[in-house]
Amino acid sequence: MHTEETLEIHLQLYSILREKLPLEAKGRAVMQLDENASLADLLEELNITRRVVISVNGEHETDRSRQLQDGDEIKIFSSISGG
Amino acid sequence: MSHGYNGKILHVDLTSRQLSVEEPEEAFYRKYMGGSALAMYYLLRDMPPGVDPLGPDNMLVLALSVLTGTAISGQSRMTAAAKSPLTGAIGDSQSGGFFPAELKFAGYDAIVIKGKADKPVYLWINEGEYELRDASHLWGKITGEAEAAIKGELGDDKIEVLQIGPAGENAVRFAGIFSMSNRANGRTGMGAVMGSKNLKAIAVRGKKRPSVADKARLNDLAKWGAANLEDSDIAGLAKYGTAETTGSNQTSGTLPTYNYNSGVFDGWEAIDGTTMYDTILRGAAEGKQDRLGRDTCYACTVRCKRVAEITEGPYQVDPHYGGPEYETTSTFGNYCAIDNLPAISKANEICNKYGMDTISCGATISWAFEAFNEGKLTLEDTDGLDLTWGKAESMVALTEKIAKREGFGDILAEGSERAAKRIGRGTEEYLITVKGQEAPAHMPRVKRSLAIIYATNPFGADHQSHEHDPAIEEDFEFYTERLDVLGFNEEQETRSLTDEKIRFAMASQHMYSAMDSLNLCQFVFGPAWQLYGPEDMVELVRAVTGWEEVTFDELQKVGERRVNMMRAFNAREGFDRGNDVLPGKLFKPLKGGVSDGWVLDRDEIKSATDKYFELCGWDVKTGNPTRTKLDELELGWVADRLEI
Repeated sequence: MHTEETLEIHLQLYSILREKLPLEAKGRAVMQLDENASLADLLEELNITRRVVISVNGEHETDRSRQLQDGDEIKIFSSISGG
Repeated sequence: MSHGYNGKILHVDLTSRQLSVEEPEEAFYRKYMGGSALAMYYLLRDMPPGVDPLGPDNMLVLALSVLTGTAISGQSRMTAAAKSPLTGAIGDSQSGGFFPAELKFAGYDAIVIKGKADKPVYLWINEGEYELRDASHLWGKITGEAEAAIKGELGDDKIEVLQIGPAGENAVRFAGIFSMSNRANGRTGMGAVMGSKNLKAIAVRGKKRPSVADKARLNDLAKWGAANLEDSDIAGLAKYGTAETTGSNQTSGTLPTYNYNSGVFDGWEAIDGTTMYDTILRGAAEGKQDRLGRDTCYACTVRCKRVAEITEGPYQVDPHYGGPEYETTSTFGNYCAIDNLPAISKANEICNKYGMDTISCGATISWAFEAFNEGKLTLEDTDGLDLTWGKAESMVALTEKIAKREGFGDILAEGSERAAKRIGRGTEEYLITVKGQEAPAHMPRVKRSLAIIYATNPFGADHQSHEHDPAIEEDFEFYTERLDVLGFNEEQETRSLTDEKIRFAMASQHMYSAMDSLNLCQFVFGPAWQLYGPEDMVELVRAVTGWEEVTFDELQKVGERRVNMMRAFNAREGFDRGNDVLPGKLFKPLKGGVSDGWVLDRDEIKSATDKYFELCGWDVKTGNPTRTKLDELELGWVADRLEI
């Protein structure tokens, strides 16, 4: 649900990023953001400053200036290369 | 006064049972630093070309570095190197845990082993004293049992044991060497070499901490790392293990599935590090997995090792055998389209009990799965095991058969390349090997520089030999300072193979190579996302050794020296760029998901490889080091052996 000035996103955080939310949430959250919010705004809201990998509606998104849409499903991963 | 190293190399001749100690000068340690470069020195100096990798003339070197055993995260690691029975080229692998530090405390920097004992033995090194002891009663025991038996008969629970399992005894070509029953010198078949020598184990005990030139600076560096771990890029790795990467690789289309035919897997979430943490890590049921489900190496505050425990169901797992990493959840999981985490963990346990490389084992099994699903293997071939994609129970059954060389497992124990040659029927088309070693779970069709490194790496396809593409592509903005130290200031386009990308592949290969010679953990030290960066590495070497003039360039040269020594070793065995061949399927498009259609182009790869050889200063026609390059690296003596 959203108001005229907000949009709603469905968020799933993985691994250590889950700790940005309360424990019981297991990294899952529904968030209301400003209707003009970008991915960068979301990351700032979550205080995610390090390098992450982001999926928006099942697609890999590397452009943090991407404008979010109401109902977007966003997954954010912490990862390393190797192992 | 020397700092960091013992100045003692233990030479073991198993045929004559003569043991002796060599005491190299400081200049030797300064030039090679230890680990892989030091191992290459002995293999080139003392071993003629053309030996049978499973014969008595092969030499196995276990080497530490000038940094091993010092009080900082990420230094307790050891190289195992020999001619590989899997590839016929140089073999090399690294392991961690507590054994490396303990060997340093026991008074030695390396053990150089040749010959073959007339019956099974183990080496016991106790506070500088050494002897060979009978191991006939240990032969055939799985790692956990042998370890307990050795500690029992030597009467000290604090002994560290390095050993082979029955797979090494059975000459499974990808058998590894294990400590703690769960830390592996996994790749290239070093366990088979040790088994061919009738050497079951090495037990060590020591209390002599290495001398450190500047303890205050070492301590500052160590404290900085511990304090910054939580804010670092490896905070997730620490708590959730390398399999935290499964989801991000799925997202970017580099999660190998159906034996490398696809880069995405629907079942990824069931087998990733987050799910592992929530379900099968020891203590998960009581919410205590952070303490009980993680383990570490000597002096390391990262604590990234997994400890899995499953007490119910068909796949029960003993926590003594650790838990699966990303490569393992991949090769036994997504490679075979299996989304059963307990089954994957069971396969990991079997590999640790019997002593096998999970990467080559799982990827050999996934080759068999593809051959079966393409109708090239029948139930008769597979001892009645149904290898339909996703069949977890068959994967687990095969893992055990391979370890014991039973039935179809006896063919697979040769590795997928030999198995494909033996079976024929066009199954060679399904291989993902380079020089006979199976590719790990990072895909060249997505991370393009992997194509060059997988192809040219002296010990076969390997993912821990350079920094992967994202660091200089979409993640570049996060790592500008560290990459500047390596000489890189320009973000590169995703999936490009520009000259700059190739130069980055080589430069980061040299840094990773230096780290393999300094025996530093590649999650703790590195050029980009790791806890410590290149300048920290230099500071560490200076603080420990007292060699204040050491620079990053000097360490890069050590790395380059090691790569050249390996390339020279291979040249002496008759290898050249004709062996730097990528699997055919990489030139066919990936299927499905975000990486659908992505493919390598043969002309592009050929010209990128030419460029790589040119940058390395090697003969572009052969891909081998020139006299000029070897002289430049103070390896004139190696050039003499190559007669160039």
